[in-house]
Amino acid sequence: MSHTFPELVIGGVLLAPFATYLAMALVVIIVLRPLLHVVGFAKIFSHAPVAQLSLYVTVLGLLMLLF
Amino acid sequence: MVATTAEQPFTVAKIPVSSWGFAIRVWLAIVLALFVSFWLQLEAPTTAALTVVVLAEPTRGQALDKAGFRLLATVVGVTASITLTGLFTQTRELILAAFATWLGICIFAATVLDGYRAYGAVLSGYTVGFIATQQIDNPHHVFESGMARGAAIVVGILSIAAVNALIFAPDRQSQLAAQLAALHRRVREYAGAVLRSEPGNAATFLTLLREIMALRPEITSVVLESSSGSVRSAAARSAVVALVAELQAARTKRDSESETSAWAARELLRRNDDVRQNLLALRMGRWPLRTWKAPLYRSYATAAESGVRAAAWFAIASIFFVSAGWPAANVSLSFVALFAALGTTSLNPRAFTILGLVGAPITIVLTGILEFIILDGADAFPLLAIALAPFTIGAALLMTSRNLLWSSLGRVFLPYMMLILAPSNPQTYNPQAFLFTSLYIIVAAALLFAAQTLIPPVSDEKRRTRLLAKARNEQQQFRPNGEAPEEATFRDASRIEQFLAAGGAQDNRVLAEMLSCFDQSTTLRLCDAKLMKFAAGPLASLAGDARAAIVTRDASTLRAVASRFRKLAPQKDSIEADVAACLVLTSDIIGAGVGDDSSRKAA
Repeated sequence: MSHTFPELVIGGVLLAPFATYLAMALVVIIVLRPLLHVVGFAKIFSHAPVAQLSLYVTVLGLLMLLF
Repeated sequence: MVATTAEQPFTVAKIPVSSWGFAIRVWLAIVLALFVSFWLQLEAPTTAALTVVVLAEPTRGQALDKAGFRLLATVVGVTASITLTGLFTQTRELILAAFATWLGICIFAATVLDGYRAYGAVLSGYTVGFIATQQIDNPHHVFESGMARGAAIVVGILSIAAVNALIFAPDRQSQLAAQLAALHRRVREYAGAVLRSEPGNAATFLTLLREIMALRPEITSVVLESSSGSVRSAAARSAVVALVAELQAARTKRDSESETSAWAARELLRRNDDVRQNLLALRMGRWPLRTWKAPLYRSYATAAESGVRAAAWFAIASIFFVSAGWPAANVSLSFVALFAALGTTSLNPRAFTILGLVGAPITIVLTGILEFIILDGADAFPLLAIALAPFTIGAALLMTSRNLLWSSLGRVFLPYMMLILAPSNPQTYNPQAFLFTSLYIIVAAALLFAAQTLIPPVSDEKRRTRLLAKARNEQQQFRPNGEAPEEATFRDASRIEQFLAAGGAQDNRVLAEMLSCFDQSTTLRLCDAKLMKFAAGPLASLAGDARAAIVTRDASTLRAVASRFRKLAPQKDSIEADVAACLVLTSDIIGAGVGDDSSRKAA
C-alpha cells in the first residue's frame, strides 16, 4: 500500500503536501530551539549552521515518513 | 567594523577574501534559485532570483532576518492587493487612490520602524504595486499572481539559506561581540578623556553614540542564527542599552571632590560593570542578569508627513500615466511604487531616485551585452549560470566596497539586471521586451524624480525642529512613567541619533541644547528611580515628597529632602548618600530651568 500525503486546503486553495511538511518541520525546529540551547547544540559542532540544516532535513524526512 | 580594521585581512586582487566569499555565495544562490524555479516550472523565476539579490547580506543572520520580513511582508502585501482589488475593481481612479493611500500607510510604518522591519513595511507597500497595479486590467489574475510571487520568494529564501549554511557564511554574533567589546573600550577611553578635560570630546561622544545606535537594528539578526540566538540577542541588546547609559554617565562632571562628583564616579563604575556583565553573557551565551528593551524614539508627525508625501508622488505618477494612456503603463507605475517606497528607507529619498536614474542606463547597457552578445540565444542552463557569474560576482564585490557610491551602484545594479534580463524557461531573447522594460524603469525613475522635485521629501530642518521641540518638552514636563531609566535614556539617545542623521552635527547651538536636555532628563529619571527604591521602606514619605517635588519642579523642597537624606546616610557611599547627591543635582537642574523660564518671561 502506497503512502498517501494529506493535502492542506485553505479557503479552497490546495497547497502541495511538501509545502506543509516544510512549514511543519520549521515549527518543530522552532519548538526545539530552547531545548537545543539548554543542551548546548551550537557548541558541540564546529559548523553549527550545517548541523542545524542537517537537523532540519532529518526532521523533515521523519515527518514525511511518519505522517 | 571597528574590530576588523585592527588586523589586515587576506586579500586576492586587492579585495578581501571575505568579499570574494560573499560574491560567490550570491552567484551560487542566484543560480540555485533559478535552477529550482525552472525545475518546478514556477511562473515567476525572476522573483526568486530577485529575492536572492535582496537578501544578499554579508552574514547569515542578517539574510535570515531579512528573509523573515520579506515573507511576512509579501503575505501582508498580497492580502492587501486582493482586498483593494476586490473593493474597487470597477473604478480605476478609486483603485489608484486606494493604492496611493496604502503606499502612504506603509511608508508611515517604515519611517517609525528601523532596519529590516522598515524594509518589511515598504515591501508590503510595493508588493501591491507589483501584484495589483500590474494586474489592474485583469483583476481575476491578482490571486494567481500573488501565489506565484509567494512561491518564487520561498524558493529564493530557501536557496540563499542553504547556500549560506553550506558555504559557511560568517555569523553576525561573533562580529557583534567583537564590535561591542571594542565600543566598550572606546567608551572607557572617552570617560578617561572627559575626566582629564581633553579637547575634542564632544565629537568623540557623537561618533560613539552613532556607532552604538547603528548596532541596534542588527541585534535582532542574531536571533535566527543559532539555537542560542535569542539569548545572545537579549544579552547584546542589554549590552547596547548599558553602553549608552555608561556613555551618558561619562559626560557628567567629575572634576572636583564634591558630593555630586563622587556620586557620578560611582555611577560610572556601576554602568561599566553592567556593560561588562552583559558582554560576558553575550560571549557565554547565557541570559543577562537584567534584560532591557532597546526602545526607539518614533517621530509620528514626521512619519505621517513622509507617508502623505509618498502617496502624493504615487498619485502624481498615476495621473500622468492615466492621462498619457500608454499601453502597459501599469508596469512603469509599479516601478514608481518600488522606488518611492525603497527611497524612504534611505537617508535621502531624492538621492536614491537619482542613483536609480543614473544606475539604470549603465545596467541596461551591461544587461544588453549579457543577453544579446554573450548569451545570444543560448538555451542551456549551465551557459546561463556561467554567463551570469562575472556580472553577479562583480556587482556583489562592488556592494562590499567601502566607498558609498560604489556600494550603492552595486546594490542598484544587481536587482535591475535581474528585472531587465527576466530569466525564464525558455528564455525569449525578445529585444522589444528588453527595450520596453528598460524604458519603463527609466520613465518611472524620471517621473518620480519630477514628483519629488514638485513635492520634496520632509526637509532635514523640519525634522530637527520637531526633534528639538519634543526633547525640550519632555525635559520640562517630566512625568515618571514606570519605564526603566536605562531604557528611557536609550530612547533619548536614539532621538539624538536621528537628529544627527538629519544633519544636526552642523547646527552646534541646537545640538548643545539637545545634549543638555538629554543629560537633564536622564538625571531626573535616575533620581526618580532611586527614590522609588525607598517606596516600601521607613523613608517612604520622604521619598514621596521628593518625587512630588520633582513633578512640581520645587527646587527648595528637593534641597531640604537632600539634606535630610544626607543626615540619615550611615556612610559616604550608602544608597542614602547617593540619593542625596542625585537630589542636589536634580534641584540644580530644576533651579536652572526655573531661572531660564523667568528670564524668558522677563525678556
